[in-house]
Amino acid sequence: MKYFVLTLALLCGLARAEIQPFVSGSLAQIQNERAGRPFVLALWSATCTHCPEELRMLGRMVKKYPATDIVLVSTDTPAESDELARLAKTYGLSDKSQWVFAEAQPEKLRFEIDRRWYGELPRTYFFDARHRRDAASGLIPRERLERWITEHVK
Amino acid sequence: MVKTSLLILGACLFSGSIAAHEHPGQAPATNDFAQKWQKRLEQAPRLAIAASFDSNGRLWLARAVGQHLQVSHSDDAGQHFSAPVTVNATPELIAADGESRPQIAVVGEKVYLNWTQALPQPFAGHIRFSVSNDGGQSFSAPVTVNDNLEPITHRFNAMLADDKNVTIAWIDKRDGKPGYRGAAIYTAQSHDGGRSFETNRKLADHSCECCRLGMASDKDGTPVIFWRQIFGRNIRDFALARLNEPLQRASEDGWAIDACPHHGGSLAVDRNATRHLAWFTGAEKSPGLHYRRIDGKTMSKPMPFGNLDAQAGHPAIAAQGNDIHLVWREFDGKLNRILGMNSSDHGKTWSAPGELANSNGASDDPLLIQGRGTSWLIWNTSDRGLTVKQVGQ
Repeated sequence: MKYFVLTLALLCGLARAEIQPFVSGSLAQIQNERAGRPFVLALWSATCTHCPEELRMLGRMVKKYPATDIVLVSTDTPAESDELARLAKTYGLSDKSQWVFAEAQPEKLRFEIDRRWYGELPRTYFFDARHRRDAASGLIPRERLERWITEHVK
Repeated sequence: MVKTSLLILGACLFSGSIAAHEHPGQAPATNDFAQKWQKRLEQAPRLAIAASFDSNGRLWLARAVGQHLQVSHSDDAGQHFSAPVTVNATPELIAADGESRPQIAVVGEKVYLNWTQALPQPFAGHIRFSVSNDGGQSFSAPVTVNDNLEPITHRFNAMLADDKNVTIAWIDKRDGKPGYRGAAIYTAQSHDGGRSFETNRKLADHSCECCRLGMASDKDGTPVIFWRQIFGRNIRDFALARLNEPLQRASEDGWAIDACPHHGGSLAVDRNATRHLAWFTGAEKSPGLHYRRIDGKTMSKPMPFGNLDAQAGHPAIAAQGNDIHLVWREFDGKLNRILGMNSSDHGKTWSAPGELANSNGASDDPLLIQGRGTSWLIWNTSDRGLTVKQVGQ
């Protein structure tokens, strides 16, 4: 019976560990859950031509440095959740925290994330352990990503 | 024990369903939420529209409703509209977001419609066209204008029509072999009022993949096209070209980026053939919106405008005699605002920016069109409907 409860709790957790709707307050939630820890916030879309290359590289980095915490936030809509999950899996990122914009006015979410992000993708934020952040638009040079990981991820 | 497990199960289900219905901040069960969202999207109005005045001052409007394009018109500058007429009898997916929107042009009794049909394959589309020969009462069966029919990118259509030609331009990836940078600009012209189109022609290689095109008539009627081009390996600045002529670099921001800006520019050509350009760049040395004019070989220094901290973007520009009008959108955290400013000396000096409209809801990018001897802001919003506002004298 104990196992049954455990399994149930686990299934419950799994069901909820799928792609989560990113709404106002989600970034704060993501940061709170990672207080004192560095992470990479990767904004992407299934309709962005340069995102597959970016996510594949993140997938390779995660394999090389498994302690790297990556949070994927797609700017598509929750209706595309299945496709987004499938894509993340092909990039080797299925066990990472995944979110999708769930707001009829995406400008609200962009404004909350960063007033000076104009919507270009991919867009990446490197949060250090104190959550000071660096932003980058477009494909991240592999060396930059690897340098950041070796400097910040213990 | 059973009680405990039921409690967990119950809490699990309960939290999921409540979250989906009332409290989207709490990470609800995804499938339920996705279904609800899909429903919302299907029911939501599609905000990206097309509008044009005809020579009699009648305002024509095209909008995507579900999988149909619908056309209506107004004889009182947007206060009342006629009952909509459906363009495509057979439903199809119509691209209608800010960068990829239907186009409408009216010449006499001819009403020309052009749009991108979205295909199920990623980034894929067809450039579609239909014409009414009876003043918008009925429309021809839509045809596909791109003569390459692979399920690849033929998207981001722009159209211009006069009494001689209908010209359509779009972004096309038919040349996209491995190693090819970006996409290409292709065009097609009809000389018989939209009954047939000539073979597609390539205007330029290596355009950026996903920014709307700007298009305007030159002094002699030749279409001029303005788009984001890839210079060198990945410098995404702007270019312009007259139809079938070589491109001219139009901005030197140096925005080196392997990304999709989803942010095209706007072009107006005044009666002296001076080009007036408005565009966005994310280049670190000068991010934001810029205006410049090109007079023959002389280019003015780019003039920045708009509030960088309010996502200033998606400009539209129009030339009316000596007057040049600019509009763009900003978001201050609560409201979407359309700001505008004017020049009465061909773009040399400008008024201070002023607010023309605002919205609490989702909204389209602003359009500037000409008609009734002046310039008009057209802006579609979810909470206040369609704004039609005179911005010129």
